[in-house]
Amino acid sequence: MNFEELKDKADQEWNLLNDSPLPVIRVGTAMCGHASGAFRVIEELKSILSEKKIDAIIEEVGCLGLCYAEPLIDIKKQGQSRLFFNNVTTDSINTIVEEYLINNKIDTTSTLGYLGSEGPNFNEPDLNSLPGIALQERIALRNAGHTSPGDILQYIANGGYGGLHKALSSMEPSDVIDEVKNSGLRGRGGAAFPTGVKWSFLVGSSNPTKYILCNCEEGDPGAFNDKGILESDPHTLLEGLLIAGYATGASNGIVFIRHGHNGPINRTEEAIKQAKELGILGKNIFGSGFDFDIEVSLTGESYVAGEETALMEAVEGKRSMPRYRPPFPAAFGVWGKPSNINNVKSLSYTPEIVSKGAEWFSSIGVNKSTGTAIVCLSGDVNKPGLYEVPMGLTLKQVIDDLGGGMKEHQTLKLLQTGGPLGGVLGPDSTDIHIDFDEMRAAGAIFGSGGIIVGSNEVCAVDLTRILVAFCQFESCGKCFPCRLGMEHLLEIVERISNFESQDGDMDLMKSVGGTMEAGSLCGHGQLGFGPIRSAIPHFEKDFRSHIEDGICPTGSCNNPKIVPKNTRPYAQDFVVGVKND
Amino acid sequence: MTEKINLTIDGKEIQAQPGSMIIQAAMDNGMYIPYLCYYPGMKPYGACRMCVVKAEAPTPDGSYRSLPGSPASCTTPISEGMRVETNTDELISLRKGIMELLISEHPHGCLNCHRIDLCGPTDVCLRHVTVNDRCVTCPKNERCELKDTVRYMEMELTTPLTYNNRHLPLEVKDPFWDMDMNLCIVCSRCVRACDEVRVDQAITLKERSGRSIIGTSKGISLLESGCEFCGACIDVCPTGAIVERDYKWDKAEVKTTTTCPHCPVGCQTSLDINKRNKLIRSIPVREAEANQGMTCFKGKFGLDYANNRNRIKTPLIKKNGELVEASWPEALDLVASKLSQFKGNSYSLISSDRGTNEDHFIAQKFTRQIMQSNNIDFSSNTNSEIFDNLSSMIGHSSATNTIWNLLKTDLFVIVSSNITEQHNVLGVPIKQAISKGSKAIIIDPRETELSRFADHWIKPNINTEHILIGGIIRSIIDQSLENHDFASKSCENFDEFRSSVWDFDLSRVSKETGVSQEEIQDLAKTISESTATSFLYSLDTISSEIKESTSTAIIDLALLTGNVENPGSGIYPLFTGPNEQGARDMGCVPNFGPGYSHISETGIGLGELDNACQTGDIKALHIIGNQASISSESGQKIKNALDKVEFLVVHESFENEFTAKADVVFPSSLFAEKDGTFTNLERRIHKVNPALGNKFDEDEDWRILCQLATRMGANNFNYSNSEEVFKELSPFLLSTNDINFQKISQSGQIYSVKRKLKFKPINISLNLNSISSDEFPMILTRGRILEESKSDAKIQLINDKNSITRNEIIELNSQDALNNNILEGDSIKIIGDNFELSGIAHLNGINSGIVSTTQLFGSIIEKVQEHKTEDPMLHFDQLNLIPVRIEKPE
Repeated sequence: MNFEELKDKADQEWNLLNDSPLPVIRVGTAMCGHASGAFRVIEELKSILSEKKIDAIIEEVGCLGLCYAEPLIDIKKQGQSRLFFNNVTTDSINTIVEEYLINNKIDTTSTLGYLGSEGPNFNEPDLNSLPGIALQERIALRNAGHTSPGDILQYIANGGYGGLHKALSSMEPSDVIDEVKNSGLRGRGGAAFPTGVKWSFLVGSSNPTKYILCNCEEGDPGAFNDKGILESDPHTLLEGLLIAGYATGASNGIVFIRHGHNGPINRTEEAIKQAKELGILGKNIFGSGFDFDIEVSLTGESYVAGEETALMEAVEGKRSMPRYRPPFPAAFGVWGKPSNINNVKSLSYTPEIVSKGAEWFSSIGVNKSTGTAIVCLSGDVNKPGLYEVPMGLTLKQVIDDLGGGMKEHQTLKLLQTGGPLGGVLGPDSTDIHIDFDEMRAAGAIFGSGGIIVGSNEVCAVDLTRILVAFCQFESCGKCFPCRLGMEHLLEIVERISNFESQDGDMDLMKSVGGTMEAGSLCGHGQLGFGPIRSAIPHFEKDFRSHIEDGICPTGSCNNPKIVPKNTRPYAQDFVVGVKND
Repeated sequence: MTEKINLTIDGKEIQAQPGSMIIQAAMDNGMYIPYLCYYPGMKPYGACRMCVVKAEAPTPDGSYRSLPGSPASCTTPISEGMRVETNTDELISLRKGIMELLISEHPHGCLNCHRIDLCGPTDVCLRHVTVNDRCVTCPKNERCELKDTVRYMEMELTTPLTYNNRHLPLEVKDPFWDMDMNLCIVCSRCVRACDEVRVDQAITLKERSGRSIIGTSKGISLLESGCEFCGACIDVCPTGAIVERDYKWDKAEVKTTTTCPHCPVGCQTSLDINKRNKLIRSIPVREAEANQGMTCFKGKFGLDYANNRNRIKTPLIKKNGELVEASWPEALDLVASKLSQFKGNSYSLISSDRGTNEDHFIAQKFTRQIMQSNNIDFSSNTNSEIFDNLSSMIGHSSATNTIWNLLKTDLFVIVSSNITEQHNVLGVPIKQAISKGSKAIIIDPRETELSRFADHWIKPNINTEHILIGGIIRSIIDQSLENHDFASKSCENFDEFRSSVWDFDLSRVSKETGVSQEEIQDLAKTISESTATSFLYSLDTISSEIKESTSTAIIDLALLTGNVENPGSGIYPLFTGPNEQGARDMGCVPNFGPGYSHISETGIGLGELDNACQTGDIKALHIIGNQASISSESGQKIKNALDKVEFLVVHESFENEFTAKADVVFPSSLFAEKDGTFTNLERRIHKVNPALGNKFDEDEDWRILCQLATRMGANNFNYSNSEEVFKELSPFLLSTNDINFQKISQSGQIYSVKRKLKFKPINISLNLNSISSDEFPMILTRGRILEESKSDAKIQLINDKNSITRNEIIELNSQDALNNNILEGDSIKIIGDNFELSGIAHLNGINSGIVSTTQLFGSIIEKVQEHKTEDPMLHFDQLNLIPVRIEKPE
């Protein structure tokens, strides 16, 4: 089947679904929906429907990003707009069925809004007018929440694989790379390296076997956008990988997902299966002579496995510890073959960049940060969620407009951005724009997009301690400065948070941190001092108060401490008699 | 010669090999950059960050571009014009910062104390260092790389960081090893040596972050983790974390490099001798070309018998049926006068396979000139069939290429050899090459360590290997896959040979060998497609009647495919005696003289000796023994014939069954007391040095023989030292006149030989006298491997030592099982002559008539450890085929 026939078939099915005489019930079943009970709601819904003998189509879709509203379901009746119900429970689903499906009248306070050209069903607001959504510009997440990730035809009907088709049918590989270069797309994994330039490294190699790897390790606490994309719309990543493969001449793609992220793993594997069945993966794709194959590779639980060379070790089945560079992956990657590693988000933009052109993409965003930022907002805000907004929003907009402001009676104290290795910003930072370079200059990084908002009830020392504990626990144990330095940093921060600090602890931290920054093998060790270094200038008062007065200003250090398992050096097993398991 | 790269390190202009790393370039030019995880010869790792440098490289426009950060010099390749600084203030303080972190978990109380080499472990410390934190209680005190680095860096060690000793219990339950993980700095050298160099992966990094530490996967014993007890991890450990248990605390007073006496690889090992003149450690020499820093359990832990004081200390003479001590003149006079009566063919001498070239040369000279007999042989010459046709087919009976040339091999064809046990270090390049993508064809009914590396593991019917190889040759010729130019132009006799292989009809070959025709064709294709093939064979499992045919077939196959001396290809006949090559070169055999010279009459060799003793043809027997040879098959045979001999002279170091029956016993020197030369399987002449010197009244065998000869009237046996003997023997080694005895380095010296390649038709005859009999109708093939992932082996503590206990799994053919009324999982018993084994039956598709078991290598190590003051070869069970019958206990 060629692409046009495929597209026709997909369009037909999609129209059939949208014009279905049966009500179409879409349930958000990505991570946050799952966590808040979406699958229990589906089960309950099915049993109610069968009990009441109502025919309906239930679609498991991805995530609209409104985590605070999960479980979120929407119901579309023939000829009407989609009506969204938020925070549905197994109890309230009965009311919804009863009132909306059967009696067609409903108390609009339980609805979030409508979506569709048919206008409001009752007097509920347009979903797109909600402040959290109005600011959004969804590119990578364009299908999330709207199509079923388990159905490739829905993706195709919504323009999916059009970019790939365009590239294969009318563009040379070098054109594709130029397009990506011109779009100004920068890697969303953390380092913000221009994606097009990275791809071009792989082109020069004459090795017939080359790999494009996609990194979905995503171990940062507070980051869930990669998983979100894979769970909501895995085909956009596959299309991105295919385009990258075509542009660079690679023969294989590997999607590297952390073991345990079952939703993304299952949906990606299912998507690969479907794409293979339709000939979108495999030999001679769309009759162009281009061959490409994608597989999923898993690793054990290791944060460092997200580091590109450690990731390659993990793909090869070894202990995920970083390699030294040079040689760089583009020369010596997985199995010694030239490889190129991209983040899920970076790859997911490329189908739209190819479809709509570099100019369109670069018109979004500010300065050298083009396109959108996929923000994972969490912490002490009213409306945490996954928001895709154009680059250039201020952090104030993020907190107030996307996040719906701070929780009641709380004021902003800190922002933790870019994962634990990123940095901490103080309350005076709200005018900073989401821009790779501006945030870096402010001592934080945008990184993978996680923004954790801390209120005045958060103790900066305790937060630092938790971040340091994370970095210590996740050190792979290879290079000496990181393995030993993190252990000492944690020990000192713990001393401070336990009001047991010793003279010169602050200087000691700085000297250990300096050794780690200059001496470590990979980014984990080089940035491992980051949480402390960026916290001290903003919250020196908090530290001083712990050290000098023995008082925690927020009182949270007086509570029992959360400590990750196995972070202690061996010696302490014996001292406190904790058995190591 | 590739062009060298010019660069500047600390202002000094140097030249280095392209592709080397900065640290290697510095070391090659005599400059030191501190390092802990780097180890020459292993891949760089970049973990310790001690070797950080500042480097800048020139750009095309003439300016210099700094490399970002402080790159580790072990992972940064050099480039033309590079400028490197190794000791800026910034680097020094970074290094000190890292070292302070490192020291915070390593005992360091003594590290910068001026008394570190003076204190004893029990001295009162004026600096109040607790006993556990003292370097003087560390087994590696005098040879600790961490200490050397700290002292080089002139550290003050006044860091405010807390000291976290790990307080881990010592691991002392495995054989030979002590592991104190509190001393480990997690440099992973041992893990890398085990993985990269030895390709065993027996040890690994466990846990992560601050808890990462060396151990075995799941904490299992080394006995079952795949450890081959080679000690490579011990040799690379920079601290006292992994050490040899024996003489752990002893310090070396003297270090002497010598040749290991256990196998023909000829590993060069540096023997540490303590102040009580005991051999305490054996450390393989990295610069030696034969072993390149490798050794095996025998060379590492099997030399302690040299310290055994339970020796034969003086000559012994049998009086009234009892051996009594005698003086040297008394014993020599007696033997000289007695032997004078047995001149001629009633005298026979068996030289030791551990004898030096000098011993062998004098032994044959004594036998031929003084005793006028050709009845001379050496004790391990039981496999001579595989050598006899070498000189006629390839010009010289020795391997055609070097050991480490195997690294370049693309395809290994290994026939009936247990290389990793018999010639362990030879297995190292093989395993390394295979781990980098080379292929292996193993033809062996037994499961050996190399079987798991094999792409094709072929188990033909017993004693049909020559037919199988003939079939492969036939298939190659049928498909015209041979290297025709080489075979027809460089070798003689090709046409005749080609017409002789028509006997090897594939259907017949397939029927006889039990290997399918497709598989034979596949093998033929694989072998002929490989660009560099090495053939290795020791033919352990093959009956002596067909050994010659088999080795002929292998050499023919090598000639046919043109794999003789090119890089990566070669023919490697594998013998067992450590200086067997030398014995042959010296003519210490009944059928030729020194330098393979022709002799008029062939004497009685080892094979016919027991018969000749029984019939009375041999009346006087002169055995230059060594412990291990009596446990061999031939040793057992001769032992039974000793009573018939009228006069028996034995040279021996320890009492054994031979000395008990001897009329005169001469105390003989051990390897560590000898001065002479060994020739290894590559024809590499190595020095054997007297590391221990004479301990008692023993003497070297050649000196004893010379004294006898002189007493018997000879005047050409006057040598004052072994160098003079070497001078006399060296003309017999082609082109070795230029070898200076004193200057043979630890890399030895290979003497070259002339090649003459000639095909020889293969004898297809089947071995009709099968080794099985009516009483024992089945054949047991025993395998031994390093680890069994699915075994039910359990480790139990016996006397506080780990020990393997398990139910053997006995594999047998389903039809055979049916005939014997055996079901899967039944307990059965295997009974042979002097042999019994119980186990659980497992029915699978092995050939009918064969039963097989596979044990863990660890179980043999337990045995060697148990008898560690004895020659390990005495306790080393060769994996011969054993005729057995199966019984099912009621």
